Amino acid sequence: MIGYVEGRSPLHRAHPYTTLSLAGAVLLAAFAMTEPATVWLLVLAGAVLAATGGVLRSSARTALILSLPIWVLLFVLHGLLGGGARFSVGPLSLSGPGVARALVLGGRVTAIVLGFLTALATTSPHRLVEAMTARGVPFGRTFLLASTLTVLPRMRERATHILEAQQCRGLRLGGSVAARVRALGPLALPLILGALAEVDEQVLALDVRGAAGAGRRTALDPPPDTGGQRTLRWGLLVLVAAAYAWKFWRMRG
Amino acid sequence: MTARVSLAGVSFSYAGAGRAALSGVSLEIAAGEIAFVSGASGAGASTLLLVATGLAPRLVGGTLTGQRTIGARRCGIVFARPWTQLTGLCSTVRDEVAFGPACAGRPIAEVMAATARAMEQLGVAHLADRDPAHLSGGELQRVVVAAALALEPELLALDDPAAELDPVGADALYAFLPSLAAAGTAILLATPDEERAARVATHLIVLERGAVVFAGNPAGAMDTRVGAIARAAGCPPPYPPDVPALLARIAPDAGGRAHDTSDAPPAGSGPGTGAAAR
Repeated sequence: MIGYVEGRSPLHRAHPYTTLSLAGAVLLAAFAMTEPATVWLLVLAGAVLAATGGVLRSSARTALILSLPIWVLLFVLHGLLGGGARFSVGPLSLSGPGVARALVLGGRVTAIVLGFLTALATTSPHRLVEAMTARGVPFGRTFLLASTLTVLPRMRERATHILEAQQCRGLRLGGSVAARVRALGPLALPLILGALAEVDEQVLALDVRGAAGAGRRTALDPPPDTGGQRTLRWGLLVLVAAAYAWKFWRMRG
Repeated sequence: MTARVSLAGVSFSYAGAGRAALSGVSLEIAAGEIAFVSGASGAGASTLLLVATGLAPRLVGGTLTGQRTIGARRCGIVFARPWTQLTGLCSTVRDEVAFGPACAGRPIAEVMAATARAMEQLGVAHLADRDPAHLSGGELQRVVVAAALALEPELLALDDPAAELDPVGADALYAFLPSLAAAGTAILLATPDEERAARVATHLIVLERGAVVFAGNPAGAMDTRVGAIARAAGCPPPYPPDVPALLARIAPDAGGRAHDTSDAPPAGSGPGTGAAAR
């Protein structure tokens, strides 16, 4: 599940900048962490964030599915083919430093994916638009960001409708891998061509409604921002800066 | 009256197209007029709307020649497929309708007043808190028309605006247009729904392969087009005849539902059919 999920958790109620800052902090901090233990603390922090937003199960499952291929690749590249001291697990001979490296890299990917899935699931695109509008961000940039957040759910919904229509016309989705690959054509073509055709009209409609105007857009219902949330965002920035300072200090040492 | 848009010998071709979508079109739409653009599919009616509102070639691409003057300070356009006209960013109908005035940077009180007025006019005020993504096609179509009206356009282009509406909704939409025109909006209407459009139009433009083949009073045109059919069926004037009149003539014994309307008032007598052909 990728996309916004309705809810009333603290993350849902928070200012969108706060939620995105949390995800951004996880992303930046992940690259500052060089030890498996600290990276996995960050994964834990991502899980706590998802639990706070009430989306732990769906976000963790999706994060696992998305990062699993990367885990397999890292394990083969670093764990099996890596150099340095080796140890055995059953019939496998593994590289000690390679496994540690795989744990760090894989942990980073998992933490980042989990953080962003949580932010996606708890940040209402509408509230984000309102928050950015209230800050005077040009609509073009706002639209670009918000559309990016909503594109996957919209494409999924459209794909479902196309699949239903094609199944009504006799498309079989089951069977061999080859049959499934063949079924992609009747799904992908209408999905892409339909989306392109509709984007044309949407551009015209938005332009006429003044979306491309140079002036500042009026915010209709900007989400409230509090002193506590602003402090939290600054605190996250300081923490990330401290993590990088720690990393570089250790590298010099 | 103030010309909201005037075209003089305008031709327009889409990029890479073999022939011109519009060819030597001259017309002028003034405040308060409802111009019904008619023609077979592919005749260029939708293109004319894009050209008149300034969207072609600016966003659509292509080449425009001739003289185009858009006097309207604000233009609105509504397409047949309402779901393509949503911002995709608004979680309520109210915000969707308010999008245009908000983009104009108007104060929030003005934005909300224009929004409330437009929703009221289109009968969607009760949907204000609903998610646009969960509306029926008909509801959505009225919402996008309301969104266009909230801009308070001086020129409103409607491209088959009742495509998703049921007959009652379509009747209500068309019945609303004369009052909108009376308030000073020039309306350019392209639709295959000739019957409803002819009732409200003050001016008719018939396109054939991108060229204007008739421009003038809709009653006159109906006399030549529908009227010819009605005359062949033996219907008495005025033309176009209404459905009961046709039924009475063709099937006088249809269970009493049909009645003789040979002296009935003229059907489809929309407001102000006095616009002169240009």
